[in-house]
Amino acid sequence: MTEPIANTTSPANPGAALDYELLLDCVHCGLCTAACPTYVETGNENESPRGRIYLMRGVADGKLELNERVRGHLELCLDCRACETACPSGVQYGKLIEPFRVAMESLDGPSRRDDWFHRHILFGLFPYSAKLRRALIPARIAQRTGVLKLLQATRLTRLLPAQLRRMVDMLPPPRRNEGPLPEFLPAIGRRRATVALFSGCIGDAMFRHVNWATARVLQQNGCDVHVPRAQACCGAIHFHAGSSDPAQVFADQNLAAFPVERFDAIINNIAGCGSMLKDYGHHWQDARQNERAAWSAKVRDVNEFLDQLGPVRPEGEIRAVATYHDACHLLHAQKIHDAPRRLLAQIPGLELHDLPESELCCGAAGTYNLTQPEMSARLSRRKLDNIRKTAARVAITSNAGCALQIAREARDQNMQLAVVHPMEMLDWSYRGVKPKW
Amino acid sequence: MIAEPAVNLSAELRRLLGPDRVLDAHSDLAVFECDAFVIEKHCPSVAVFPQTANEVAAIVKLCNERGVPFVPRGAGTSLAGGGLPVGGGVMIVLTRMREILEVNLRDRYAIVEPGVVNAWLNKRLAGTGFHYAPDPSSQGACTIGGNCATNAGGPHTLKYGVTVNHVLGVEIVTAEGEIVQVGGPVEDSPGPDLVGTIVGGEGTLGIVTKIWVRLTPNPQGVRTMLGIFESVDDATQAISGIIGAGIIPAALEMMDQGILVAVEEAFHFGFPLDAEAILLIEVDGIEVGLDAQRDRVAEICRQNNAREVRFAADAKERLQLWKCRKQAFGAIGRLSPSYCTQDGVVPRTKLPHILQRIRAIGAKYDLRIVNVFHAGDGNLHPILLFDERNAGEIERVLAASGEILNECLECGGSVTGEHGIGLEKLNFMNRMFTDDDLDVMTRLRDALNPGGLLSPGKLLPTAGACGMEQIHPGRRAAL
Amino acid sequence: MATVTTSQTPDLASSPSPVEVAESIRAAYDASRAVYPVGGGTALNYGNSPTQPGEQLDLTGLNRIVDYTPRDMTILVEAGVRMTDLAAALAAEGQHLPIDVPRASEATLGGVVATNWSGPRRYGHGTIRDYVIGIHAVDGRGVAFKGGGRVVKNVAGYDFCKLLTGSLGTLGVITQLALKVKPLPESTGTVVAACADVATAGILLDRLATLPVPPVAIDYLLGPNWQVPTTTRSRQAEIGPQTPHLVIRFEGTETETAWLADQIQTELQQAGGMSVALLAPIDAAALWKRQIEFADRGAGDAPENSPMVIKVAVPPSAVTKLVAQLVAFDPDCSIQAHAASGIVIARFAKFGHSDITPVLVGKLRPAAAKLGGSLVVISGTLDGLTPHLIWGGRTDAIVLMENIKRKFDPRNILNPGRFVY
Repeated sequence: MTEPIANTTSPANPGAALDYELLLDCVHCGLCTAACPTYVETGNENESPRGRIYLMRGVADGKLELNERVRGHLELCLDCRACETACPSGVQYGKLIEPFRVAMESLDGPSRRDDWFHRHILFGLFPYSAKLRRALIPARIAQRTGVLKLLQATRLTRLLPAQLRRMVDMLPPPRRNEGPLPEFLPAIGRRRATVALFSGCIGDAMFRHVNWATARVLQQNGCDVHVPRAQACCGAIHFHAGSSDPAQVFADQNLAAFPVERFDAIINNIAGCGSMLKDYGHHWQDARQNERAAWSAKVRDVNEFLDQLGPVRPEGEIRAVATYHDACHLLHAQKIHDAPRRLLAQIPGLELHDLPESELCCGAAGTYNLTQPEMSARLSRRKLDNIRKTAARVAITSNAGCALQIAREARDQNMQLAVVHPMEMLDWSYRGVKPKW
Repeated sequence: MIAEPAVNLSAELRRLLGPDRVLDAHSDLAVFECDAFVIEKHCPSVAVFPQTANEVAAIVKLCNERGVPFVPRGAGTSLAGGGLPVGGGVMIVLTRMREILEVNLRDRYAIVEPGVVNAWLNKRLAGTGFHYAPDPSSQGACTIGGNCATNAGGPHTLKYGVTVNHVLGVEIVTAEGEIVQVGGPVEDSPGPDLVGTIVGGEGTLGIVTKIWVRLTPNPQGVRTMLGIFESVDDATQAISGIIGAGIIPAALEMMDQGILVAVEEAFHFGFPLDAEAILLIEVDGIEVGLDAQRDRVAEICRQNNAREVRFAADAKERLQLWKCRKQAFGAIGRLSPSYCTQDGVVPRTKLPHILQRIRAIGAKYDLRIVNVFHAGDGNLHPILLFDERNAGEIERVLAASGEILNECLECGGSVTGEHGIGLEKLNFMNRMFTDDDLDVMTRLRDALNPGGLLSPGKLLPTAGACGMEQIHPGRRAAL
Repeated sequence: MATVTTSQTPDLASSPSPVEVAESIRAAYDASRAVYPVGGGTALNYGNSPTQPGEQLDLTGLNRIVDYTPRDMTILVEAGVRMTDLAAALAAEGQHLPIDVPRASEATLGGVVATNWSGPRRYGHGTIRDYVIGIHAVDGRGVAFKGGGRVVKNVAGYDFCKLLTGSLGTLGVITQLALKVKPLPESTGTVVAACADVATAGILLDRLATLPVPPVAIDYLLGPNWQVPTTTRSRQAEIGPQTPHLVIRFEGTETETAWLADQIQTELQQAGGMSVALLAPIDAAALWKRQIEFADRGAGDAPENSPMVIKVAVPPSAVTKLVAQLVAFDPDCSIQAHAASGIVIARFAKFGHSDITPVLVGKLRPAAAKLGGSLVVISGTLDGLTPHLIWGGRTDAIVLMENIKRKFDPRNILNPGRFVY
C-alpha cells in the first residue's frame, strides 16, 4: 500500500462504491483515533477510523484482500461518527463506511442477511411500529406478570437464541399504556410555529410516552403539532445494515407523508432517526435527490428546534441530580451539543453533572448491541462506570437506543438509575408533575 | 532476515499474551506500516499489545533471544516516522497500557502508563486546579509515552517548557528486557540526568512503561488577543519586541495570510483576510497584573504597526481562537490536496529573515508555502502545498524543504523543534552534527541499546541491527 | 596553564581553548592518567575524593561570553565563567539565570551544571537542566562533542545537555554552554512566618503547596543557624531557636508582588502562622544570602564546620515528618528545606563515625528511599566514607549509568571515584 493508484476497482470490489476523492481527504494524522469507542477499547489501529479508512483504501486499491478479518474490523465500527467531530480535515467518514458496508453486504448476495434475525426481526419487525408493539405483547405480559423476571433470574431466557435474548433483556420496564398520538395537537397560547412530528417505528412502539411528552412540550411552546399517519420508518436500520433499497422506499414514503411546504419544521426526538432523515438528501443519487434534500433541510431534532425557537420557561421544580449523555447521532452526526443542555438547565431544581466521556458511544449504536454484543457490552459497562462517577440518579439522553442500552446495563448491575428523554423532563416541569422514577 | 523465525515467534508471543493480543496476518498489519508520516512504509512482522511492563519485558527478551528488532508505538501520530518498524520485526503497541495510576495534587505529580492519551490526563485533572502542561496540537490523540519519546512541545511550551521539563521519572524496559525505574515522584536523583536523556530518545534508549509527570497549577487568569498586521515583517518584529521587553507570554503563535484564508473558511471566526499576518498571543498569571501585561503586549504590537489588536471577549471566544490555531493544519485540505510541513527552529531574532527566505524559496520553486507556527519559540512550521498528481511537484517540494531547513541551520537553528528526527530527517543529522558528535551519540545508544535491536534506523544516520547503512541515501529532504 | 594545571589564578592571555582541553584529555587517555576537572572549586567536597593519582584540569580560564543576543534571551558562554560574571552580563540587559548557588563569585557555570546545584528558587524556576539548551564537552577519549544548539526548542539528536547535568565530570568535561535565560523580575518580596511547632508548619506547607499562584521559593528553616528577622515584636517571646520558620519569596511586577504579599500573609495567618510579616528589603536580602549559602560548608554559620551536611529528597508532603526525624536525632542540627520541592538540607551539629551505620544507613536513607527519594552527603569532616555511604546503593538506574560511563570514559580517567563508579 505504498502508492496511491487510480481507481482500478472492479464492480466486485466494494471500494467501487466509494467516492475515491473522499478517501484522499484523510491525511493520516491520527487525531481521530482516541475519539473512536472501539479503538479506545481495543487499542488496535485496525479498529480506529484512520485504520478503517486505510483498510478501505487498501481494498479499493486492490492491495488488500477483503477477508474475514478486514471485514470484521469494518463491521465492528459503530458508525457513531465521533471521528468526524475529531477530524480537523473534515473527512466525511460516514460517507465512506456506510456505502462500503452496503457494497460489502451486497457482495455476499442475499445469503448473509437472510438469517432469521435479519429477515424476521431486524427487517421484518423493527421498522413497523404496530407489528412491533403486537410482537412485544407476550414479552410485555411476561414482564407485567413477573414471569420475565423469573425467567431471567432462573436464566431460562438462555434457551432463546442469543440475539433474541439480548432483545428481551433490552426491554424497558413496562409503562402505562398510552394511546396513539392524534393526528393534530393544537398550540397552547400564541401560535409560534407549525410543525410535523416524526414518531418513529421503535419509538412509537417502545417510547410512545416520549412522543407524547414531545408533543405536549411543543404545544406548550406554541406549536401546532401534526402527526401524519402515513409516515414510515426512517430507513436507518436497513441502511446501516447495508440494505440501501428498502431504506430508499421508506424515505420516499416519508416525503409523501410529510408535505414539507406545510410545516416550519419536521420534528423528531430520536437522534438516530433524525440523522437519517437529515441525510436523505445525499444517500441516493437519482432524480429525486434535490427533492429529498429540500425535505431534509426542514428536519430538526426537537432539542435543536426548541433551543432555536427560544423555549417557554418551565416552572415546575424537579429536584434531582442528573447527567446528560450525548447520543452519537445527535452530537457527532448532527453536531448538537449545547441545545439539550441549555434546555435542561432551565428546569428549576435540576442539578446537571457533567458526564465523563459523554461523547463516547454507549454501545447501542442502532442495532449494534444486537449484532456486536461483545463490544457493545464493553462500551455499555464503560458508560455506566462513567455515569456512576457523576453520582447522578437520572441519565438523560435523546436517543431511544442509548436509553435502552443504558437502562439495561443499569438493571444488570442493579443500579438505581432512571433513564429519560429531555422532553420527558421538560414535560414534567411544564405540567408541574413530580416524576416517578 | 526475519521472515522465517517470525512464524515461530508469533506462536511464542501468543503463548505469552494469549491469542487476541498478537497480530500477524498481513491484512491486520497493514495499518501499522506507517504513522502520520506517510512517505515511507515499513510493515512489522508481528504486532503485540502488552498490558504490563512484565509483558513488555518478556516480549523484549524473546526478541533478543531471536535477534529480531522491535519498536514501540503509541497512537502513531509521529510526523517524522518515529513509530515505523524499520527492518520489520515486532511492533510493541502500547495503547493497551492506558491507566492513570495515581494523581497526587499535594506532591504535584501523576503516574500514567505510556498509552494514556495526553488529553485524557487533563480531562481527569479538570476541576482540580492543576493541569499537565505540554500541549502538542495532537493532544487529543497522542499518547504521553509517545510525547516522552519525542519530547513533544506545543503552543504553551513557550512559558511552561516542553515534555522533558514536566517528566519526573520513567520506568523503562531496557533494550535487553530489564525493568528499570529512573527518577520517580521525588526530585534530584543522584547522578547524570538519565530521565532527561531517555525523554527525547525517540524510543531508542528504552521502552517507557510508566511515567511520573509534574502537574502545574492552572493560571489564575488568562488574556488572549489577536494582533493583526499588514506585513509579516511587522509581525515578526513585534514578536521580537515582546520577548525583548521581558514578557514571556504563555503562547505566541503566528498565522500568515495563506493559512488565515483556510482557517476562516473552516471555522468562520472573522479573521481579516487582507492582513498579511496575525499573532495569537496569550498571557497568563496573576489576575491583578494581567490587564497591564495585556495592554503592554498590545502596545508593542501597535508600535510595530499592528493594524488592530483584538482581545478575546470571553472563555468561549478564546477556545474558538485556539481551535482555529490547533486545527489549522487540518484546514489546509481546503487549500490543496496535499501538503508537507517542516519543523525548523531559528533564534527568535532571525524570524524576519527566515520568513523572507521561505518566501523566496517558495518563489524559486514555484510553490505556495503558508505558515502557522510557534513564533515565540522560533519554531517554524512552514507548510508546502502541492498536488501529488502534478508531475515533478513532489521533487520541488523536497528540494524546497531541504533548502528551508538548511537556511534554519545557517541561522544557528535546528531542523526539528518538536517532531523529532525519526527517519524523516536522518539525512540532516550530519549537517547539524560532526562525525565526533554522532560517534558519541552512537556510544550513548550502544550503552543502553547494545544489540541495536530496539528501534533500529531511527534518530542516528548509522547502521542499525540489520547492518543497514544509511537508510535512504538518495533522499535529499523529507516531508 | 593552558592544559593540565593546578593553578587557581588563571591568566586570560593563556586561557585554554576547548581544543586544548580536548588535547590534554587525549594525552591523559593515552597515558591512562586521571583527570580532575575543576572550576571554581566550590564543590570539591561534594562526592568522594579522588581515588587515583592524576592532575587537575583548571577550567576557569574558559571564561568568555561567546555570544549574547539579549532579544533572543539566550547566551553562549564558556563553561568556566563565574556565576557572578554571568549574572552581571545578564543583568546589564535586564535578564538572569535564576539558579541559586553558594559562593557564586567563585563557582563556575560548568561546575553548577556538573553538580546539578540548585537553591530555594528551584520551586518557581526549575533547576539548571531547564536552562541548558546546548553543550560542548570532551569525553574520556579526548573527543570533543556537542549536543543541543542555540535555540530554545530543539529535539535533534540525543540530549547531552541533560546527560551531563549532574554527571559530576565523570562522562565529559564541559567546555561551553548555551543557556536560555529569563527576564529579571520587576520586584520581589519575602514573607516570613513562625510556626508553633512542626505540625503547624506542616499545615502551613499544605496550604502553600496548593496555592493557585505559586511563589518562587518556599523555604522551611529550623535550628541554631537561623536568625529569622521579623518586623513585629509582639510575640517574640514565644519564638525560640527551635521554632520552625517559613520563608516565602515571590516575584513579579510591583502590582503582582503587592497582591501576593497580601495573599500569602493572609493565608499564613489563617493557617495558624505566627509573627507573619513582609520583610523589609534589607532584611530580606540578608536572609536570602544565608538561604543561598547555607548548604555550603564555609558559609560562616556557627558551628563553622558541620561534621556532616546531607541533602535528602522526599515527596514535599513528607518534609515535616523527615524534619522531625532529623531533629529527633540531633536537636541542634540546622535545617533548610526547599519544602515545596521536597529537598531537605541538614547541617548536623554533631555527627560521628559511630552514627553512620545506625543513623545514616540504618534510618534516614531507608526512610527517604521508602518514599521514593534519596539521601546524599553534601560534605562532611568524616573521612573514609565509601561511595555508597555518600550516594546510596547501586540501583538499577546506576547500572545504566555505569554502562554509559564505560562508553564515554572507557579508561575511567574522568574524575574517577567522584561518583559511585
